[in-house]
Amino acid sequence: MIKFLLNGILRDKSRSVLPVIIVSIGVMLTVLLSGYMAGVFGDVVTQSAKFDTGHVKIMSKAYAENIDQLPNDLALLGINEVIAPLQEAYPDMDWVKRIKFGGLLDVLDEEGESKGQGPVTGMSFEIYSGNDSELKRMNFEDALVEGSIPAAKNEALLGVKFADQLGLKLGDEMTFIGSTMNGSMAFTVFKLVGTVRFGTAVMDEGAMIIDVADAQHLLDMENGTSEILGYLDNDVYDEEATLEISKVFNARYADSKDEFAPIMIPLKKQGELEELITLADSMSALLIAIFIFAMSIVLWNTGLLAGLRRYKEFGIRLSLGETKGHIYKTFIGEAILIGIIGSIIGTIIGLIGIYYLQEVGIDISSMMDQIDAGFMMPSVMRGKVTPNLFYIGFIPGLFAMVLGNMLSGMGIYKRQTASLMKELEV
Amino acid sequence: MNTETIISIENLTKQFPEGDGFFTALKDINLTFKKGEFTGVVGPSGSGKTTLLNIIGSLDKPTSGKVNVLGLDIGNLSHKESANLRNKHIGFIFQVYNLLPVYTVFENVEFALLLQSYTKSERKKMVMESLEWVGLGDQASKRVTKLSGGEGQRVAIARAMVKRPQIVIADEPTANLDAANAHAILKTMKKLNQELNTTFLFSTHDEKVMTYLDRIIHLRDGKLESEEFISHENDKV
Ligand SMILES: Nc1ncnc2c1ncn2[C@@H]1O[C@H](COP(=O)(O)OP(=O)(O)O)[C@@H](O)[C@H]1O
Ligand SMILES: [Mg+2]
Repeated sequence: MIKFLLNGILRDKSRSVLPVIIVSIGVMLTVLLSGYMAGVFGDVVTQSAKFDTGHVKIMSKAYAENIDQLPNDLALLGINEVIAPLQEAYPDMDWVKRIKFGGLLDVLDEEGESKGQGPVTGMSFEIYSGNDSELKRMNFEDALVEGSIPAAKNEALLGVKFADQLGLKLGDEMTFIGSTMNGSMAFTVFKLVGTVRFGTAVMDEGAMIIDVADAQHLLDMENGTSEILGYLDNDVYDEEATLEISKVFNARYADSKDEFAPIMIPLKKQGELEELITLADSMSALLIAIFIFAMSIVLWNTGLLAGLRRYKEFGIRLSLGETKGHIYKTFIGEAILIGIIGSIIGTIIGLIGIYYLQEVGIDISSMMDQIDAGFMMPSVMRGKVTPNLFYIGFIPGLFAMVLGNMLSGMGIYKRQTASLMKELEV
Repeated sequence: MNTETIISIENLTKQFPEGDGFFTALKDINLTFKKGEFTGVVGPSGSGKTTLLNIIGSLDKPTSGKVNVLGLDIGNLSHKESANLRNKHIGFIFQVYNLLPVYTVFENVEFALLLQSYTKSERKKMVMESLEWVGLGDQASKRVTKLSGGEGQRVAIARAMVKRPQIVIADEPTANLDAANAHAILKTMKKLNQELNTTFLFSTHDEKVMTYLDRIIHLRDGKLESEEFISHENDKV
């Protein structure tokens, strides 16, 4: 019987081609969009981990609560006592200090008059004061437009557009004006040694990058830092691992009433990323639901047409003693077969598309200038071939084909055997 | 000749809803059929021939009265039971031969066996034998769309006969055929009737058919008008 039905599908193009095309297109779109989203969100997570959140982030509880205000007065002190046990417990992980701070940059001309001023977002990394893990991670070398990476005290990088706006050239000096963690005036002269482009507005248009040791000194935060970021082995993100490590770490301080006690927050739970990741998951589900709905309706209709065209066939089969239930079952069986064929074709085409996106990508940097996202948005949108792309299209493909045909096939149950002779007379 | 009664009809009445009331298509029919009959139901259009064959073939049910086919009470069969009766014991031949166009001659005939549990080689043997009966043994792998009308109806006969049913029901089987093909078909069916002792029930108003029949049942306005038994002792088939 199966061979018989298969022959019918293969020989009767009108029975198979249209549904296969519809299923293929739906499945292809599902795979493309899912892979595209995986790429986009994966990029966002990678970027965010690099620039902002780490895989886990340790702060004082008080700092964590007010993190939007960069409250450096609530920074962690005595951080070696925090980092050393972590390094021992997780030897494959990398623990680095980061301090973000805000202030004003003041630029003087030859006569010592102020020739330009602007608000600045200060960022500090272990550039020359640590090992080279941060250099590799942040890729400062690749981001450099001109100059070199800070190698000595009070050397700084500026975002390339920012340096332009302030009219600064390599070797020029600029004065940072802000406040220390104790609330007194911070006032330090930095030398511009390089300009960088990271492709994100936040960095390129308003950032100053210095070594974290200089930042500690500037902010009067010796042996302290506002944030300690932890990265898993080889910087490969693993959500489960970060959740587990955070749980173990936080358990130790759970009973502490000290608002300066450290707290570790995994990437997934940080700020807008949590919402974003939830959003990504629910968008995938929504997307699949929409495709199932739309395709089901279309396939319901093609199923109705197929049922009409095969009206006679079903009549003959009824007269030969096949039950309605059996005809219905074979009709659904054919739908499953066509659904599988269409899903395979659609998945293959979709995967090819995503592979292209993954390897080549689409440059949207011009669009990004107009969007002020609350998180680090990458300027090249990429797809990502993830394992679930190999099966995700089968969900709407099969579901819609079967659902559509379950609905259209109900007509079989309306057939009256009593009128078969009349129907088969013509 | 076997004289076992395989169909008995008592006081059969069939009504169809029509407007507010009913239209009576068959009224108080009493008939019995014996195994191996070659019988025609004859009457003008609208006299109830198809309705009668429908009920005997378990495609429809009586409104009142009793119809017993091969020991089964047609009025009380479930959809499954009547499907099973058709599947195993009744072959249908329609006015139009109604073959499945995407399949070959062989597959069209084989289809009637797929619902039963024959092995592939058993099916092949049965299908080929059946095609030999109707003289199409050499056309097995042809697509049915390539056949002439007479050949198509012969495939339909092979399909009806392949499972060796007790009863073959043929509703105006020659209505769409020219004289030569009609005669060929009837000869084929008559031969099968005699060789396999299969009961054939026709409906027809075709004079050509009547010359082959053993028994003619005349219907008029849903009523049994008369019956005649014809002896063919001296005929040649
Ligand atoms: N399903 C039905 N509903 C209503 N009337 C029907 C139905 N089937 C048959 N009839 C009526 O019953 C009568 C007999 O029909 P039928 O058995 O097809 O006659 P025949 O085959 O002798 O031409 C006709 O008048 C026809 O209109
Ligand atoms: Mg009729």
